[in-house]
Amino acid sequence: MTTYVMRRIIQAIPIVFGISILIFLIVQLAPGDPTDRFRTPRVRPETIANLIRLYGLDRPLPEQYFSWITAFFQVWRVECWGYSLKTGEPVRDMIFGRLPNTALLMGTAEIVTILFAIPIGIVAAVKQYSLLDKVISVFATIGYAIPSFILGIYVMYFGGVVLGWFPLFGMQSLGKSGEPLDIAWHLVLPVTSLAIQSIAGWARYVRTSMLETMHQDYVRTARAKGLAGSRVIGKHALRNALLPVVTLLGLALPSLVAGAVITESIFSYPGIGSLTINSVTANDFPVIYAVGMLVGIFVILGNLLADVLYGLVDPRIKY
Amino acid sequence: MERADLTTPLASGALAGAPAEIDEVDLVPVRTYWQMVRERFMQHRLAVMSLVILAVLIVFSIAVPALTGDAYRRSNLAYVDAGPSLTAPLGYNEIGQNQSVALMKATQNSLIIGFVSVLIIGSIGSLVGSIAGYAGGWVDNLLMRAVDVVLSLPFFFLILIIVAFFGVGDVRVIIIAIGITGWTVAARLVRAEFLRIREADYVQAARALGVGHRRIIVRHMLPSAMAPLVVACALGVADAIITEAALSYLGFGIARPEPSLGNMLNNAREYFYANPERIFYPGILLILLVLCASFLGDGLRDALDPRQKVKA
Amino acid sequence: MTGDNGRFATPGGDLLGIEDLRTYFYTRDGVVKAVDGVSFVIGNGRTLGLVGESGCGKSITALSVMRLIERPGRIETGAIRLGDLDLLALDEEQMRGVRGARISMIFQEPMTSLNPVFTCGDQISEAITVHESIGRTEASERTIEMLAQVGIPDAKRRAHEYPHQLSGGMRQRVMIAMALSTHPELLIADEPTTALDVTIQAQILELMKELRERNRMAIMLITHDLGVIAEMADDVVVMYAGKVVEQADAFTVFERSHHPYTRGLLASIPRLGVKRERLEVIRGVVPNPLNLPAGCLFKRRCAYAMAICDNPPPFREVADGHLSRCWLTPAGEPPSVGAEADPETAAAAAAELSMEA
Repeated sequence: MTTYVMRRIIQAIPIVFGISILIFLIVQLAPGDPTDRFRTPRVRPETIANLIRLYGLDRPLPEQYFSWITAFFQVWRVECWGYSLKTGEPVRDMIFGRLPNTALLMGTAEIVTILFAIPIGIVAAVKQYSLLDKVISVFATIGYAIPSFILGIYVMYFGGVVLGWFPLFGMQSLGKSGEPLDIAWHLVLPVTSLAIQSIAGWARYVRTSMLETMHQDYVRTARAKGLAGSRVIGKHALRNALLPVVTLLGLALPSLVAGAVITESIFSYPGIGSLTINSVTANDFPVIYAVGMLVGIFVILGNLLADVLYGLVDPRIKY
Repeated sequence: MERADLTTPLASGALAGAPAEIDEVDLVPVRTYWQMVRERFMQHRLAVMSLVILAVLIVFSIAVPALTGDAYRRSNLAYVDAGPSLTAPLGYNEIGQNQSVALMKATQNSLIIGFVSVLIIGSIGSLVGSIAGYAGGWVDNLLMRAVDVVLSLPFFFLILIIVAFFGVGDVRVIIIAIGITGWTVAARLVRAEFLRIREADYVQAARALGVGHRRIIVRHMLPSAMAPLVVACALGVADAIITEAALSYLGFGIARPEPSLGNMLNNAREYFYANPERIFYPGILLILLVLCASFLGDGLRDALDPRQKVKA
Repeated sequence: MTGDNGRFATPGGDLLGIEDLRTYFYTRDGVVKAVDGVSFVIGNGRTLGLVGESGCGKSITALSVMRLIERPGRIETGAIRLGDLDLLALDEEQMRGVRGARISMIFQEPMTSLNPVFTCGDQISEAITVHESIGRTEASERTIEMLAQVGIPDAKRRAHEYPHQLSGGMRQRVMIAMALSTHPELLIADEPTTALDVTIQAQILELMKELRERNRMAIMLITHDLGVIAEMADDVVVMYAGKVVEQADAFTVFERSHHPYTRGLLASIPRLGVKRERLEVIRGVVPNPLNLPAGCLFKRRCAYAMAICDNPPPFREVADGHLSRCWLTPAGEPPSVGAEADPETAAAAAAELSMEA
């Protein structure tokens, strides 16, 4: 197994470089540059030229890329990811500051999802063709199809305006700092909004997997051995059905970092997602680079995790 | 060992002249592949309903803007915040625009963006996927690495950046952005199908006959890969519509006064308390569009899947 | 005197009796009568071979005995008796007590019939602990013992391996071990060797014979392979399109078969050393289950078909313990009404003849 992981990591390196080049190129190709907002009629061309030299924007592209990428991985240095063009803060600190918030939000949503989706999916599969199954299927399809931002708005409307029970934005109330209950209260609406979509998707996945498993020959064998229905489903079928679901866990890793761009934005939640929007709006390139790279790397890690997890639970897989 | 000789007729001649063909009633009635597909599709009441609703929406979204011209962007200050009327069933917004007309125009935009970008995704995806799947070897490797790179970044993130940098509010940029990020999924799909059927007997037979590569790909292999591709495209339309709406909502997509389901929703946010219905009609229409596309995709998937188990 | 409930010579008494079993499937396209009035008996310690083409209903018969028929299928009527117990009258919990304990079943595809995520040992132990309340260690010991009995070398180690780590033949041995671990009275084997290659096939059949001796177990052996029947079966039941068309002991079926279908099957076996230009075939195809012909189901493919065959033939004794569903007399001749008779005369004669039987 360790050799497999090593091999995958080595294979991932060119992809990471590929991502870095892709992001770099996209940003470079964009019209305009970081000095745009300084170009008012009152600023002299020499000042602009100095700025360009200061930012190193006049160096040849490969050189710019190289210095950027080498600095990127030196995470221990404060200046590794540059400084925000908007606020001047070190990008690294900005990101590290918001990372826990996003992780908390997405992590909670993930746990809620698993707690609900798996039982729902199982029930729908076991009681296939029944009214319950049809209802679940329809709800799952609807829940999955509703775009997250609409869900966010409606959840916000019903929970915050109609019912008035929950706060509409932010992560904590003014004046309170780090109080778990307060934070939890703020998390309810965004988590609900995220979870509804997630549960819909996962439940369908679990249901499909269960259905496929339930029609396998070994389930028939288990019944022929005289096992009770619940044992046949709960032990023989479920164990096999959950195998592909495990990979979903691994694939959920990147979202812990990337956050939900739209949901965070709607709820003004201080996470990486809203940071992304704000920096794209402001053309804050260093932040965009950093977030992009970070997310890309975690996607690769997430894929790796998914494969490793699958190898651990399925005895047929030998790495 | 005495055995009846079953090949010679009885001496009594009972079978003299009896035909040796298979009696027709022994054969199961033959239906062509497409007839079976249609039958299976028709069984999906939701999918059929979705098709109908979608068709109606398409008709309306073309007819209403065609008939009303640029009424959707004309703001008539006399009608600011006016309530519903015969020509404006949904009333007017805060700058006097007829909401119903705007809604239809917005729907039209969504549908156009949805279909065109999926067209791009489907084309590029099939091209890359078929070449990769058919050629194998280093070509496959190279193309798949490229796909991996693009897939490593969350779609929305990429699209956001592309649109933000290259043309906020430009429909063409949005379409292209969705197209060049989305083709990867289609490519993977087509490639998987190609890998699967590459070793199939009928492909080998074609090769043995000396049929050229391009013809093999286009005539023999692509049709088999079509089924999952079509399903993916139907669902892709749903995704594209959502993406455009999200972009417009955030302010990066279609901007006012051009209507989009997304920017109508964004606008409505300010009127949560005063005119809550404004968050409903664009939202519901959007949900309707997406749902219809999704159910359609589901129906297509079940209809086109050749592995239907019929318990007999 | 004997009626439709076929009786072979069963010296030890009957273990399993099936009487007029009908299992129908309600599909979208119509009702498929997969098993339509099947009756036979398996004697204690006897091996019954259930033969027929694909789709004739033999597997469904077996699954009906185990009561493992699922939607859209249903056991319509009939009686299935295990000793004194009426299996169709049991509730599900009681039936579970029978499944795997008194009647065990093994299937055709050992790879997919074993759960890939549990070890072989686990699956066998499970079969034991479900029916007997013994401890895990004792169950393990018995498992290893069974594995050794079915001829798996290094049984202790193999018990901890997963199905995918074993070869096809070994997997089938594991299935057999699992089925026999509870010492059932009846083993139902549904095409146990069909998925294996010929040399392994021979080994598995030898194994089954050995275990049959040792456990004094009855076997219902389902197959389309007449060679396997010749090896293993004491009695034979031939099925066609959901009905039994002939039954007798094995010797009689091979040497003195009566029904044209059976004779066609036997004639189509290729024989080594005999020079032929073409293989014998039974012309035609199995009838569409949704569109069965009236009267004898085999008539369209039968060389002896006559007008009277438009009436369903009686299932009657053509010799002691030998039944056949055909209008031909025991000697193989057309019935008294003659082969030339027109349909009405034939129908009248049919009614008369049926009552006699």
